[in-house]
Amino acid sequence: MDIFTMAIWIGTIIFLVFSLTKNKEKTKTALKMAFGMGKNMLISILSIILLIGLVLALLPPEQIAGFVEKQNVLVATIASALFGTITLIPAFIAFPLVGTLVDAGVGIVPSVAFLTTLTMVGVVTFPLEKKEFGIKFTVVRNGLSFIFAIAIALVMGVII
Amino acid sequence: MTKVTKILKENLFTAIIIIAYAVIFILKPETSITAVGNSGYYLKEMLMIMPVIFVLTALLDVWVPKETIMKYLGKKSKSKGVVLSFLLGGISAGPIYAAFPFCIMLHKKGASIKNIVIILSSWAVIKIPMLLNEVKFLGIKFMAIRWILTVIAIVIFSWITSKIVKDEDLPSESTSEPEGVIINRNSCMGCSLCVKNYPELFEISSKKAEVKKYDFILDDEKLNKAIDNCPVKAIHFNKR
Repeated sequence: MDIFTMAIWIGTIIFLVFSLTKNKEKTKTALKMAFGMGKNMLISILSIILLIGLVLALLPPEQIAGFVEKQNVLVATIASALFGTITLIPAFIAFPLVGTLVDAGVGIVPSVAFLTTLTMVGVVTFPLEKKEFGIKFTVVRNGLSFIFAIAIALVMGVII
Repeated sequence: MTKVTKILKENLFTAIIIIAYAVIFILKPETSITAVGNSGYYLKEMLMIMPVIFVLTALLDVWVPKETIMKYLGKKSKSKGVVLSFLLGGISAGPIYAAFPFCIMLHKKGASIKNIVIILSSWAVIKIPMLLNEVKFLGIKFMAIRWILTVIAIVIFSWITSKIVKDEDLPSESTSEPEGVIINRNSCMGCSLCVKNYPELFEISSKKAEVKKYDFILDDEKLNKAIDNCPVKAIHFNKR
């Protein structure tokens, strides 16, 4: 386990002990909630991991990097932003995945665009959002999020 | 038989993946071994971080006083409302679809469109436990810059949204809700806390909570506990 993961564990355990001494009932609620959420997501997370493993076996990260490199940065960025809007991957799998891709040589700009649209813009969740907020709100929010995701990615490319 | 089809329907995605693996194992055994190896790496990484992220998320969710925050999200709230909206989105547990009904509830309580967009966006992108995860895989510099840029972007486009979308554009309240205990299954994330609090009344079906048919007199204490504890505020009780 790397130092960073260890730090999160230690921090959380301290928080947990502190929480236990302050309020046992609340802590129990939190633990039940955490367990329930985890149990419910486990199968779908496992499936997504297996899918990613398969895709990366068929399309090695180096090959993806080589392909992305040949494209115009803007085209690659918009394409990966689009890809991010249609996929539904939990963020904690997305980070190691993007880590792998960046290590293999995929540029920062398309990677950031993918990461941001992945969570902020949703084609899959669009009908649900429309039902609750109406079409105007949903189109405006998702559209602006998409445009700004690309802007964030381009600015990050300049800074890093 | 119906049970088998039901399970298959709920786990269709998983079934497709397993079939894909079987096909590739027959056609290209080596590729399938690489695939399992790749999956193993992500599985290991995930198992190291996932339990702690869930616990941290749940702890933040129960300890940050959401009810107090909600009072400051109206149109006159200005910068305090903006900061609190980021905080509320950043600490809340649950997937983005759980945020939609939650935000509609806030809007009915007077939260402005601008603050709602901030909550939704920060709910999606700047989860505090997730930021730690991002540092682990992509480095602190990467995370910090992305975080700052994202916050700036959200502030700008939430303002733009509030100029384009008015309160009237949101669907008005649905006509009279049915009586009794209701669960909004669109926002439920299946954490099963309500079942643990009141097993006689709630059950999990198709990965989401459901109200059982009941003819007994409701235990107010247990019911209120279930309502209060629900992390996405999906349970409602309309008195008859």
